[in-house]
Amino acid sequence: MSRAWTVFRREWAAYFASPLAFVLIGVFVLVQAALFFYIGYPIGPVPLPGLWDGGQANLLTLFTWLPLSLALIIPALTMGAWAEERRAGTEELLLTYPLRPWEWVLGKFLASWAVVMLLVVMVTVPLAITVANLGDLDWSTVWVGLVGAAGLVAAYTALALCGSALTHEQLVAFLLSTLLLGSLWLLRMLVAYAPASLAGFLEQASPQAHFLDTAARGVLVAADAIYFLLWMGAGLVWNTLLLERRRLQ
Amino acid sequence: MSPHPASPPDSEPMIRAAGLCKHYGDVQAVQDVSFDIHRGEVVGFLGPNGAGKSTTMKMLTGYLVPDGGEVTIGGDPILGDDLAARERIGYLPEHTPLYRGMRVDRYLEFVARMRGKRGAVMRSALERVIDRCDLAGYTQRRIQTLSKGYRQRVGLAQALIADPEVLILDEPTSGLDPAEIVRIRDLVIELSKDKTILLSTHILPEVEEVCRRALILAGGRLVADGDLLDLTGSQAERISLTLVAPPESVASELQLIQGVRTLIGQVQGSAQRVRFQVEVSGRFEVAERIAEQARTRGWRLLELRHESATLEQVFLRHTRGHGLAAKPEVSA
Repeated sequence: MSRAWTVFRREWAAYFASPLAFVLIGVFVLVQAALFFYIGYPIGPVPLPGLWDGGQANLLTLFTWLPLSLALIIPALTMGAWAEERRAGTEELLLTYPLRPWEWVLGKFLASWAVVMLLVVMVTVPLAITVANLGDLDWSTVWVGLVGAAGLVAAYTALALCGSALTHEQLVAFLLSTLLLGSLWLLRMLVAYAPASLAGFLEQASPQAHFLDTAARGVLVAADAIYFLLWMGAGLVWNTLLLERRRLQ
Repeated sequence: MSPHPASPPDSEPMIRAAGLCKHYGDVQAVQDVSFDIHRGEVVGFLGPNGAGKSTTMKMLTGYLVPDGGEVTIGGDPILGDDLAARERIGYLPEHTPLYRGMRVDRYLEFVARMRGKRGAVMRSALERVIDRCDLAGYTQRRIQTLSKGYRQRVGLAQALIADPEVLILDEPTSGLDPAEIVRIRDLVIELSKDKTILLSTHILPEVEEVCRRALILAGGRLVADGDLLDLTGSQAERISLTLVAPPESVASELQLIQGVRTLIGQVQGSAQRVRFQVEVSGRFEVAERIAEQARTRGWRLLELRHESATLEQVFLRHTRGHGLAAKPEVSA
């Protein structure tokens, strides 16, 4: 476990050693703020207005954007996590150290999760403070929303890292991970077009059902935690198997 | 912190490769390669490009899983559940893959932690490898700003940081300038005092200087394995002699000596001085007979010596027709 912590520290530092993380954080914060204040969330059967139009003192619009925006930003942040190790050949050295592959996977996952959560907090807290100054914000919904977002980020990050582990090209990794996370996000869009027997399954399989309907509205549900933990676990196991498979190349 | 694995008994090979096979798609990269390397041996690993050296090294270090065969390090399987075999190995892959964005000291600290070192033990290990690899003054530099020679030193430092019993070095001097080659070579010679080393290189004088034994791989197969003296000595049973004698009779008389197979060359010098190269069976016995013949015939024997093949000749003989068969570098 201590080796996973060592990997975590290196990966955390590596994220901030290049300008990519800063650029992505800056773009993400600005875009999310613009969407929150001016655009709202116009996608789907129940659009949400921007803060200025709606005048609601909550962060629901921000949280509603997260399943889609994180499906783009997480692949961008994690695309190099494994692909670059493979391209540069550093995975060869690491895989000969007295280290179990799952320790490496766990360290990388935790570092990526922490970076994305930092990004989510950097968006959420300033917006929450702004809203609290304008109206009567229920802070408990903010904290519960962040806990739910932590689950969403964990599931997304574990899956996106698998996309990076599938290739040595960062661009290909980005596309694979975006396709994977985008497909998950699309499940709820398909509900309206699916036969009734399938619609319930699609609804329950979508991340929105386990975040937007519960934690984003201030309600914590154990089933949601299990849902995100299952995706996270599946992603970590898949990632470890992909790493083990490298030895069989 | 992981315990340092107990050293195996001296009778146990430090490195055992048994029937290693590996293919990439339709290409059989390594076929049934077996050898033992014992504690304290320094072994040169030779072969043309594409012979399977790097693939074999990757299997020895546990990076690649063989399609067939097994590797043990100090008696423990490299792919076993416990990590004892891996803790015994320091590995420098070809092209020295490093985290180039990191500072040298932070990278080495990262490697030390990954290898289970903490606290004072880690600091002491860092000081030791920085001193040994002559990296003092460069520890604050990012690896990407270092010259190739210094990056190679960092690569060696990471291989040495856990003070492993076994070093596997894949072309450690490739692409370095002559001064840096000598520095790395001297370091390997120093390390050979207390470590078991497998060293792959195309620079044959390096093998002759550093190693006592060589493995030659060609076409994925092990085609030669032996002490350098045996390898070079067994290739040509050839004697060179210079004497002062009547040139017209000496050649025919030499050919009558038991054990002489062919007279290869005859160079007539001044004042009846003649020089021959003689292919023989049993070089010591034939040399004695030639000396006796010279004494009885009154020839003046100026030179009589056994001609060893060079390692380059041995290499070319074993690898001819295999793979890309790059001509080895014969000077550093």
